Amino acid sequence: MILDIYLVLFWLFSAVAVFAALRVITVRNPVHAVLFLVLTFFTCAALWMLLEAEFLAIVLVLVYVGAVMVLFLFVVMMLDINVAPVREGFIQYLPLAATVAVIVVVEMALVVGSKTFRPNQMAAPAPAAAGASNTEELGVLLYTKYLYHFEIAAAILLVAIIAAIALTMRKRPQTKYQNPAQQVQVRKQDRLKIIKMEPEK
Amino acid sequence: MLENYLPILIFLAVGVVIGGAALAAGMLIGSRRPNAAKDSPYECGFEAFEDARMKFDVRYYLVAILFIIFDLEIAFLFPWAVVLDEIGLAGFAAMGIFLLILVVGFIYEWKKGALEWE
Repeated sequence: MILDIYLVLFWLFSAVAVFAALRVITVRNPVHAVLFLVLTFFTCAALWMLLEAEFLAIVLVLVYVGAVMVLFLFVVMMLDINVAPVREGFIQYLPLAATVAVIVVVEMALVVGSKTFRPNQMAAPAPAAAGASNTEELGVLLYTKYLYHFEIAAAILLVAIIAAIALTMRKRPQTKYQNPAQQVQVRKQDRLKIIKMEPEK
Repeated sequence: MLENYLPILIFLAVGVVIGGAALAAGMLIGSRRPNAAKDSPYECGFEAFEDARMKFDVRYYLVAILFIIFDLEIAFLFPWAVVLDEIGLAGFAAMGIFLLILVVGFIYEWKKGALEWE
């Protein structure tokens, strides 16, 4: 009976996820598309929760919905586009898009249809005990076995910081601004000159 | 384990029902008589100067990207804090190196003036 509820929830969340993902690429208003992408991420987080990956589900909501999607929304709302024109450049991009789509479909078919990944090849793992903490297990693995990969993640984040700054930093020479450190260090001798002179008659 | 999350599921369901009910009630009961003046953008009594969509400075984007990178860094801190007792000194040192690498990035962006607003 419990299993049935999980199955129903899985179908429900998957249906919403597929519907929302389809709407992302079919709605004309880019802001609505981003909001549908948010819905897709939410339902994916629910699916991960059903897989008992609780920490990753929360991180998906925190990082993707909370930060990345807000950034997307931010950029889309700031862009100079209102409503996407109907099928602008549809024919022009069709060959490339069709090639990519075919490659993705073939790859998915190869993975799902291969002997190693068929559903009957893999037994469903036993559900975790009531007190088990997914975060704890993840932490133990990440900070003992996968320590090196964890440090590589730091290096990748560093590269992202430098790349973002290199790509978008612009110095504006015409802007005027104060340098408080210099202002504080100014001495009287630098600014003020007292000249002795004879009083004029 | 998933039984622990039943309250969240109930919360989601109640949220969807209440949100949907409010929208549906408005659509069914409320009167809808739109006209051109009602649908036009409203800007404190005068005609709108320009379209709301205009080009913004790219530096908003830079700040947002830097925020996301440090947001990700924080996501790594949560499991680390939970298992600090089990992973010992090696795990502690690993997080030290991780933070050190990112502090290098932080100093870089600070010195480069990416956090200045001018």
